[in-house]
Amino acid sequence: MTGRSMVRVALVIFVAVMVQQTVMIALRIGGAHPDLLWLLPITAALLDGPETGAIVGFWAGLAFDLVLPTPFGLSALVGCLLGFVTGSLTAAVDPRAAWLKPVAALAGSVAADMLFAVLGAILGQQQMVQIDFLAVCLVVGVSSIVLVLPVNRLMRWALAGENNRRSLVSADAGSRAW
Amino acid sequence: MARSRRSRRTLTVIILVVLSLSLISLDLNGRTHSVTSGVKSVANDVYAPLRQGVLDIISPIGNFFAGAFNYGSMQSQNEQLQQTIGQLRAAQAERGFEDNQLRQLMALQNLPFLQSLTTVTAQTIDEYSSNFTATITLDKGRADGVDVGYPVVGAGGLVGQVIQSFHHTSVVRLITDGQSKVGVTFGNQLTGIVDGQGPSSSMTADLVPPHTALYKGEIMYTSSLDAAAFPPGIPVASVRSFHTPAGASQETIEVDPEADLGQLAYLDVVQWVPPT
Repeated sequence: MTGRSMVRVALVIFVAVMVQQTVMIALRIGGAHPDLLWLLPITAALLDGPETGAIVGFWAGLAFDLVLPTPFGLSALVGCLLGFVTGSLTAAVDPRAAWLKPVAALAGSVAADMLFAVLGAILGQQQMVQIDFLAVCLVVGVSSIVLVLPVNRLMRWALAGENNRRSLVSADAGSRAW
Repeated sequence: MARSRRSRRTLTVIILVVLSLSLISLDLNGRTHSVTSGVKSVANDVYAPLRQGVLDIISPIGNFFAGAFNYGSMQSQNEQLQQTIGQLRAAQAERGFEDNQLRQLMALQNLPFLQSLTTVTAQTIDEYSSNFTATITLDKGRADGVDVGYPVVGAGGLVGQVIQSFHHTSVVRLITDGQSKVGVTFGNQLTGIVDGQGPSSSMTADLVPPHTALYKGEIMYTSSLDAAAFPPGIPVASVRSFHTPAGASQETIEVDPEADLGQLAYLDVVQWVPPT
């Protein structure tokens, strides 16, 4: 990533933390709220591959760890792994496929929540698996499908100029498909 | 070329994973926890006013949409109120919010179990910031006399315990959280432990001998055992159901929190340190 991209990514992460902690936590359905964090590494990985996905996931997770009561570093670990796995699994997929972003957002968010809870329990935070998983997965999964498009647009702006897969697509085509 | 790129990618991820694991180890290690706690404290001191600024901007918008979505129920409620209280409705609607806040603050001042302990009254500014923990954030921190381990009471009983304290904010673990365990006493000098089972599950009372005589609604209070984490006599929970399965070594008891965890606008932090 270039220096300019890093600054832009940092800004996007900051905006995501603010929106999460002010708007998203107020949208509680069945005791769970949407989670913007996982969408950052997912969209970064879809746009620029597994390495960028892992880097963005790590820093986004670290920023969220600063304001969450869960163990410090846990979100960074899960975000990093999520970005890397998402980028690796979708490397051979046509980035223009309409189904790619919603499916990646749904599967990635739910898998990340599961991994987050299980790793937390392994680290002694037993309460992290004593939750209503169905409600959390439903709320986080469905909201991720809805939110992936605006987050993807922000991330594309942040990573603009990178030699990414999306940039191989013409700008017009890209803007039509977000 | 492709191989070297793949190697670099793998190396980057390995470094990030090791870095994450190192941070987790620092946080969970008792001796180095102060490092991560300090970083979080500084970040929260910067973040809290920014968050409040954003909330000040978006709250009017949120209130507008909340009013729009609940218009139907609000209208029928208003009609019922108009029938029953007539002219008083407008005056009460204007004063309702302030009256409710005042009642909660007055109730806090008269909680019988606080006795002579010093308390700090705080306002809840955040609830359930993570899907995986039952925690709230208060607008008082170390600078206001709130420290880690202090009990938090209000709304009729024990609410939880401070687990993180920053300069002007603090995080409270609710008694419904899966990590919460409170030593209690009830009946004729009986003791047990009230365990949180997560925000979506009932709390249980454990370590109570089988066939112990109980009744529904019996209140359990914080115990005064040595080195207890809470001062004695705070209402914790009331018995909802109980039975002893055949061959069980303890009675199965489900309990409800005594405190109304839906009313957490104002709370008291008790400045109490367990005796050593």
